[in-house]
Amino acid sequence: MIAEKAPKQMQEEVKAEEKIVYRAEQLNLWYGEDQALKNIDMDIQENEVTAIIGPSGCGKSTYIKTLNRMTEMIPIVRTSGRVYYRNENIFDKKYKVEELRTKVGMVFQKPNPFPKSIYENVVYGPKIHGIKDKKLLDEIVERSLKGAALWDEVKDRLKENAFGLSGGQQQRLCIARCLAVEPDVILMDEPTSALDPISTLKIEELVQELKENYSIVIVTHNMQQAGRISDKTAFFLNGEVVEYDNTDTMFSSPQDKRTEDYISGRFG
Amino acid sequence: MGVRGLYDRELNELKEDILSMGDQVVLAFSQALSFLETREVSRINTFITDDEKVNKSELAIHDKVTMMIARQQPVATDLRVAIAALKIASDMERIGDLAVDIGKAAKRLSEETKIEDIQDIREMATIAEEMLTSVFEAYKNRDLMQAQQVAVMDDKVDDLYSRFIKKLFTSTDLLGVEQTTQLAFVGRYVERIADYATNLAEWVVYETNGKHFDLN
Repeated sequence: MIAEKAPKQMQEEVKAEEKIVYRAEQLNLWYGEDQALKNIDMDIQENEVTAIIGPSGCGKSTYIKTLNRMTEMIPIVRTSGRVYYRNENIFDKKYKVEELRTKVGMVFQKPNPFPKSIYENVVYGPKIHGIKDKKLLDEIVERSLKGAALWDEVKDRLKENAFGLSGGQQQRLCIARCLAVEPDVILMDEPTSALDPISTLKIEELVQELKENYSIVIVTHNMQQAGRISDKTAFFLNGEVVEYDNTDTMFSSPQDKRTEDYISGRFG
Repeated sequence: MGVRGLYDRELNELKEDILSMGDQVVLAFSQALSFLETREVSRINTFITDDEKVNKSELAIHDKVTMMIARQQPVATDLRVAIAALKIASDMERIGDLAVDIGKAAKRLSEETKIEDIQDIREMATIAEEMLTSVFEAYKNRDLMQAQQVAVMDDKVDDLYSRFIKKLFTSTDLLGVEQTTQLAFVGRYVERIADYATNLAEWVVYETNGKHFDLN
């Protein structure tokens, strides 16, 4: 019996391995003398929503910015350890950061559309990648805006300036801009903290739809949001991952008292 | 800590409400048992009407938990406290109903039913009463060991119940159909109350560590 089971088990293990988008191993990060990330070991699974929660200054934003190497733009930053994206160490000297950022999109706390038309915002990335065909660009715009659940609201005013959109629409436009280059992973750093409740729920709905095709890592201050939309939740505290588990477990029976105190609003 | 003072007070009050409803049903059960011996119809009637108070306690707990979920969004242990309170209140309401059923049966027992005939029921009831007292202590102190001991006691009640029924229906000293039926019912009600005490113990386990254990 054991002999029969073994190959199947191995297949399952390989499968699980293939489904890992990101793997951090002993990741440490310092801003000058201050250590912001301490020995992070964490896998991010494909087609899942992973929520990162924790009080201010716990390292959660630093962690997701490390995933597309945004932190290296800060001169005093120093890192050690390894971060594998699709089995390749992104800290490797030969690794091309441009390629990484094509595959890994980022949505920030405040919507940051370019001061251009809605259409131009979406085609910005594809144009940089050399796409000039108008018909193809039109298709990308429609597909991306539909993917970001914004198409119906803006299809008749694509040439208008993006600043004329509401905050929630601008944020969905930023998601559309991100989808236009067909990424693999979408990183979201508190994407709804500047939005009203309805816009927030629209983004949350969108995240649920997007995970069919993308892997999503979302930093959020809103515990209920993590509970509503994520498959897995990691609780960061003082640069460490205190607990990382299925969201169901994290919100019903967390193992660590610090996680319990944080998610039940008793500190932070 | 202490940033959620009001919420913490509400959670503590909820546990107090459960314990006070627990006192109500423990008292109801003990009164019902006393009626098996005294059979005072007018007191039994008042006792039956008083069950309304237990029902009201259940609804008050239900409303309090609903409001807490709506306004405070409890998670983790807090959420389990809220959910366990709902389940425990509902099981206690059933215990209250069974105590009423015992009272009603006591009214139907005739003068000929002697103390010796209810001796086995008494024995079962003593354990069931202990189980209830014990399970509320376990609830108060989140004591897993004590909760598990309640389940062990239920096995004794089950054994006594089987023995009682066998004896009742094979006795040479026949009591008549009505009396035999009423006594069998009372035995069954006591046995059910012990089962509910075990259910309560399971909710204590759930509240404490989030695990579902079938202690029955």
